[in-house]
Amino acid sequence: MRLSLRWKIAGGFGILLLLIALLGWVTLSLFTSLRSVQRRVFDDAIPGLIAVDEIVRSYTAQSAAVRGYLIGSQPTLLGQYEDEKANAQFWQERGAELFTSGQEADLLRRIAATGTQFQELVDESVIPLATRGQRSQAFRVLGQDGTPLISQIETLGTLLRNSQDEAVMEQQSEVRARSNTTIFALIVLTIGALAVGGAMAVVLPRALVGDLSKLVDAARAVERGDFDYPLEVESQDEIGEVATRFREMQVGLKRLQQLALQDLELQIAASIQQNLVQRTLPATPGARIYPMQRQANLVGGDWYNVDVEGRTLSVVVGDASGKGIAAAMMATLALAAVRAEHTRGASPAELVQAANRTLREATEVESFTTLIYAMVDLDTGVARWLNMGHHPPFVIRSDGSGPRAHFLEGPQNRALGWFDDPGTSEATVDLAAGDRLLLFTDGFLEAKSPDGEVFGHNRFAETMQRLSALSPDALIDELTAEVERFAAGKLDDDLTMLVVEWAGTQADEPTPAQRGDQ
Amino acid sequence: MAQQKIDIDITSADGFRVLKPTGDLDVYTVGSLRDAIASILEEDTPHVVVDLDSVPFMDSSGLGALMGGVRRLREAGGDLAIACTREQHLKLFTITGFGEGVSIAPTVEEAAEGFRS
Repeated sequence: MRLSLRWKIAGGFGILLLLIALLGWVTLSLFTSLRSVQRRVFDDAIPGLIAVDEIVRSYTAQSAAVRGYLIGSQPTLLGQYEDEKANAQFWQERGAELFTSGQEADLLRRIAATGTQFQELVDESVIPLATRGQRSQAFRVLGQDGTPLISQIETLGTLLRNSQDEAVMEQQSEVRARSNTTIFALIVLTIGALAVGGAMAVVLPRALVGDLSKLVDAARAVERGDFDYPLEVESQDEIGEVATRFREMQVGLKRLQQLALQDLELQIAASIQQNLVQRTLPATPGARIYPMQRQANLVGGDWYNVDVEGRTLSVVVGDASGKGIAAAMMATLALAAVRAEHTRGASPAELVQAANRTLREATEVESFTTLIYAMVDLDTGVARWLNMGHHPPFVIRSDGSGPRAHFLEGPQNRALGWFDDPGTSEATVDLAAGDRLLLFTDGFLEAKSPDGEVFGHNRFAETMQRLSALSPDALIDELTAEVERFAAGKLDDDLTMLVVEWAGTQADEPTPAQRGDQ
Repeated sequence: MAQQKIDIDITSADGFRVLKPTGDLDVYTVGSLRDAIASILEEDTPHVVVDLDSVPFMDSSGLGALMGGVRRLREAGGDLAIACTREQHLKLFTITGFGEGVSIAPTVEEAAEGFRS
C-alpha cells in the first residue's frame, strides 16, 4: 500500500493524541464521579446525621426541661422547653429537605408525629396539671405517656441514623469501585500512550532516518564517483520516491561519465588521427597537389597519403567503412600499413596485399577499407592506379578542344580487409599537361538530399564538367559547396579529395599544401 | 552515434528466412540488421535472404553488416543471399567486390536459388 510520509506521521501523532484525550477524559470522569460522591456524602448524608442527632437531642432536652420544671418550678425551664420545641421544628424542616427517599422521609414523619404527640401531651396535660399544683400527677403522666414517646423518638432516630450510615457506606464502596475501574483504565491508557509514543519515537525515526542514511551513503558514493552503489529503499512513501529518482540519477550520471570518457577517448583519437594527416605534402616537381578533407565528426574513416620516390608520385585516398572511432582506427591501420609497405619499397600489388592481410587480421568481419592507389610518372604523365573496391577516379582533360571531365574506366579490385585475395589489377591513363587526376571518397557521391536522393555519379560528373574551367582550389570549394547545398547542409559522411595536376614540365610553384600553409 | 531502430520484417520461407528492412541502412540503423541476423544464427541451418527492396539508401556500414552477416552465417553452416533491384546498391556491391561470391538476384526466390547451387 502506498502511504505518504505525511500520513504516517499524522497517523502516529493522531493515535497518540487520541490516547492522551482518552486519558484526560477518564481522569475527568473520575474527578466528576468523586465530586458527585463527595456531594452526596457531605451535602446530604452528614447534614442528615446532624439533623437526626439534633432532632433526637431536642426532644430529649424538651423532656428534661419539662421534668426539671416539674421538680423545681423554674419558669426558665419552660422557656428552655419552648426553645427546644423551636429547635426540633427547625431541624425537622431541615430534615424534610435532606430526606427525600421514601423510607427516610417516612421515619422523619414518624419522629415528627411522635414529637407532636409528646408536645401535645406536655402542653395539654403535664403543664396544666403542674400549673394546678398537681405535680405528682403531672410526673406520672409524663412518666407513663411521655417517656415511651421519647424512647420511640430515640428508636426512630437510631433507625434514621443507621440509614444515613448505610448511605455513607454505599458511597464509600462506590468510590472504591469507581477508583479501581479508573485506575485500571488509566493504566491501560498510559501503557497504550507509552507504546504508541515509543513506537513513534523509535520505529518512525528509524524507518525515516534509516532510509535517509541510505540515501546519504549513496550520495557520498556518487561524490566518490561510484555510480553503482546499491540503494535499497523499499518504502512506498516520499522517501521511496526520492530513492527511485536517485537510482535513475545514478544511471544517468553513469551514462554521462561514460560519455565524458568516450568524449575524452574521441579527442585522443582525433589528436592521433590529426598527427597522422600530412600537414605538409612533399614537393612534387612536375605536378601540383591540392588536398581537401572535411570530417563529419571529430574522427573519421577517410584518409590520404602522398609520397614521392624519385620521379614517381604515389597518391592514396582511402575510406574505411562505418563512422566514428572504429572507422578512424581502421583508417589509421590502413594508413600505417600503406606507409610501412611504401617505406620498404613494396610494389603496388604487394602493398595492397599486405594492407589487406593487416586489415583482415585486425578488424571486425563487418569492417573493410576501399582505396585508390595511383602512381604518376612525373616525367611522362603516365598514371597507373589500383582501385581496391573504391569509386573510380576522375579526370579533367584540358586539351585544345576544351575541358572534358569523366570517370576513368578501369579494372575493379575488391575492398581490403574481407577477401583472401582482393585482386591487384592495374589500369593506366596518360595525362597531358594541365590534366587533373581526382581521387576522392564516397562522401561526395553518397551525399543525401532531404528527400532521400543521393548526389550520385552522374550529378558528380555533370558538376565537374561545369566547374572544370576553375582552378583546382576553386573547383574543390565550388564542388563542396554544391554538395552541401544538395544535402541542405547535413553532410553525414567525411569528404576527402586529392587533385593531382600534371604540369607537363617541372612545376615552378608548389601548392599551399606543399609549402606547408595548411 | 545514437542508434536508431528500423523495422525489419522477418518471415519464413522454404528452408530459409527473409529479412526485409524498411528504411535507410546506415551507421545509425545498422544495429537492427545485425541483431536480426544474430537472432537467426542460433537456428540449425541459418539461411537468410535479405530483401533490400525497401532500403532506399545504404552506406558502407550497411554493406559491412551484410558482409559480416555472410561470414557469420557461413561459419554457422548457413548462408546469406541478397534480393535487390536498386541500381545504387548493386553498384556498391560491384564496386567493392562484395557482389562476387554472394547470391544477388532481383527477387527473394531467385536469390534463394544461390543456396541450392
